[in-house]
This record gives sequence, structure tokens and C-alpha cells, in this order.
Amino acid sequence: MANVLDLRRRIRSVKNTRQITKAMKMVSAAKLRRAQERALAARPYARMITSVLQSLKRRVDIFDEKTGNLAHPLFLTRPEKRILLIVVSGDKGFAGAFNSNIAKIAFQFIAGNGDKQIDIEAVGKKSRDAFRRRYAEAVYTEKADEHGTVRNIRDPRKSEVELTGDHPGMLLNLQARRVEELAESIISRYVHEEIDAAYIVYNEFKSVISQRLVVEKILPLIEVGKQQITGAVEPTEAEKERTAEAALSAGIQLEAADSTEEEAKKFGTAQVDYLYEQKPEELYAGLLPKYIFSMLYHAMTESVAAEHAARMTAMDSASNNASDMIDSLTLVMNRVRQAKITTEIIEIVSGAAAL
Amino acid sequence: MSNQLRVRLVTPERTLFDHAADSVLLPAKNGFMEVLYGHTPLLAELGAGDVTVHTADGDTRLNVNWGFVEVLPDRVTILANDALKPEEIDIPRAEKQLDRGLEDWKKAGESEEAFNEALRVISEAEAKIASAGGTIKSH
Repeated sequence: MANVLDLRRRIRSVKNTRQITKAMKMVSAAKLRRAQERALAARPYARMITSVLQSLKRRVDIFDEKTGNLAHPLFLTRPEKRILLIVVSGDKGFAGAFNSNIAKIAFQFIAGNGDKQIDIEAVGKKSRDAFRRRYAEAVYTEKADEHGTVRNIRDPRKSEVELTGDHPGMLLNLQARRVEELAESIISRYVHEEIDAAYIVYNEFKSVISQRLVVEKILPLIEVGKQQITGAVEPTEAEKERTAEAALSAGIQLEAADSTEEEAKKFGTAQVDYLYEQKPEELYAGLLPKYIFSMLYHAMTESVAAEHAARMTAMDSASNNASDMIDSLTLVMNRVRQAKITTEIIEIVSGAAAL
Repeated sequence: MSNQLRVRLVTPERTLFDHAADSVLLPAKNGFMEVLYGHTPLLAELGAGDVTVHTADGDTRLNVNWGFVEVLPDRVTILANDALKPEEIDIPRAEKQLDRGLEDWKKAGESEEAFNEALRVISEAEAKIASAGGTIKSH
């Protein structure tokens, strides 16, 4: 049996670990609060873009006469042969199953579309690492085109699944500008028919108790303002409870307050005839890329919030486990000490009796 | 308060401005325009430049880059890609952006896409510098 001194040392070390996990939990809680605020601050913009597009669509004649579809390249549907998959994961670990769950869904998606060519765009270091181990990276070489401008031309693909880009650190300091660049690159690939569809895998985070992992189709657009969710994984009740518990102990509200929504819905939807500075078609074409951008930005802000929530929960569990361990170790230590005292008393008593 | 416009400036990251105002000057894509109370409903694309809001207690100037504006008789909502207060503008950075734009402009050759992109960068940088009160170096 271990002696008292060893047990005391172990207890001290577990206590230290608990202190670290507790601190990490509080840090995550603070970051979660900020991420939630940012996700909320991004909502009016997204909402307004959606409303103005919906209202423009109603009043402007921008339909293709032949097909009846909206006359914009982003609405064109082609048979899906080449798919772009954007995977939004975290940049850091210590967040429980957060990153591995995302990777799992992404791999399932790839396996489910085995007959198609898939390009992967990895946002966040963790998913990039996971994909790099499995798939080849796309190779680009610089070539001059007929006008003499140098362009990056993609080499013939070596495998069906390739990594076309990664964006480590994008989420650590989320800037609208960088997300916009990504959106522009995706749109240009779609318009130039390099891809036939684009999907995004991310953690949707409406509030602490309402979150899920979703696969959302972002291109082609079918209807503005309607999420095209093609797959979703809801957390189990037990997981939800754990998150709620962790949030409560860290002093985070379960439901985020949201007041701007109503006002934003009205943007551009007044029942009057607008004067248009530009041709409505031009306005429409200018707004659509912004809509794609706002979808991406939305996915990323929510994913950041979800990551912090996951880390907070994981660290809360770790702290609880450490407390349990300290309790059981203390119990063992006390028993050992008592046993030692008892032995000593017996020795003294029997020694005295022998006299 | 009557005869006052409610002006709101929203970017993807934050709501920068939400106030009542007498009038607002907007950098629309095809030139500046001023909006007063009771304006006809209007939708326009914005270019790069300063939005100036006139209120009873003085003017507020904000630099915006590309976006959209909805004007209603009593409400103006500006949806900007990026908006900065003049004091937030980093002049050396804007100058670097300007140099990059000029560089791209020279390299654009006959590609219309690259040319437009370069022009966009240049006007954005120039608007930033002007709004921060810097002077544009001749080139």
C-alpha cells in the first residue's frame, strides 16, 4: 500500500491540474461571451441582406425568360460532379470532441459522395491537420494566358479528393475582410465552373442550449433566405445538460438576448416603389456575393462560439473529474494513515502487556 | 422629434452608428448625394468615401467602403462592407494599400477584371487617406 507522503504528493498535483482546468474554463467562458456578442452583432447585417434580396426579387424582373430561373450565375444548377467542401473547425485542442466530431462528419460526407471529385477548403488548424494526413494537396503552377497575364493554373488532380486551401488562424482573429476574400474565391470558382456545388460543415450555435453540427449547401442558391441543410447532428440530451451546467457555473446566460432582429427584417422591404440609383439587376448582382459572404461569416462566428462553449464544457468536466479524484485519494490517504496509527497503538499496547 | 431621419450604419462586424439626424451625405457609386427628411424611397450601391451625418449637435463623419443604402422618408439604413471612424484609420496602412493598388493597376494589362479590382483598391485607399486628413502623394 502506498504511503501517506506519496498520496499527499499526488493530491497536490491533481489540485494543481484542477486549478489549471478551472482557469481555462473561465477563460473560455469569457471568450464565449465575446464570441456570442460578435455573432449577435453580425446578425443585423445578414438579416438585412436577406430582406433586401427577397424584396428585390419580388419587384424586379430578373428572371431568365427561357428557363424561368433567376438570371444570375449563382442560381444556375448543374449536375454535381465537383464539390467544394468547406470545413470549419477549431484552431486549438482541449475542446472535448469538438474537432473530431467535425472531422467525422466531413469524412462521412466525403465517403457518401465517393463518385464525385471533392475539393476541400479547411478553416481552422485542426481540420487542416486531419485532412493533410489523408488527402493530397492541389498543386498550382503559374502559367501565362493569351493576354500575357500570369495566372495560377491547377495541375491535373492526382486523387479524387484534394485540399485546395487552408486558413489556419482565420478564426483566432476573425476579420470580415478575410472571410470576404474566401467568399470571393468560392464564387469565382463557381462562376468559372470549377465546382458545381459548395457545402459547408460547421457548428451552428444559436445559444448555449441550442447548437448542432450541420452540413449546409451554400451554392448553388435555390432560394434566398432559406438555409439548405443537408445533414445535421444534434447533441444528445446528456451533452446538452452538461453544457448548460457548465454555462451556469461560469455565469453565462443560456439564451442570448436578441433585440435587433425585428428592425433588421424591415430593411429594403417597404411596400413602396423604390428609386434605383443603379439598374436593379446591377444591385442584385452586387448583393448576391454579399449574401454568400454573410452566410460564411455567420458560419464562422457561430463555430467560434461553439468551440469556446465546447472547451468550456470540457474543462468543466475535467475540473469535476479532478475534484472526484481528489476526494477518493483523500479517502485512501486517511485510511492509510488510520491503519498506520492503529498498528502503532497495537504495537505499544502489546509491548506494554509483555512487560 | 419630427422631421428627423433615423440613420443607421451597419457592417458585418458591428452596428457603428444609430442616431437621429437632420440630413446625411452619402458616397453613392455614381457620386455623392444628400438625403433629407421625406426623401423618396431609394436603393443605391455605395462607393468608397465619407458618410457625413448632420445632427443638431454637430456632424459625424464615417469612412465607408462599398455597400448599399436604403433610403425611406424617415429612415436611412447604410449597409457597409467596412466602416471606420476617421480616428481609426491607419494612414501608413492606407498608403501601403494605395501603392499596392497602383502596382496592380500597372500590371493589370488587358484584363478588365484585374483593372477594375485595382481601381477599387485605389479608390478605397484614397478615400481612407482623405477622410483621415492625410494628403495623397502625387504619383
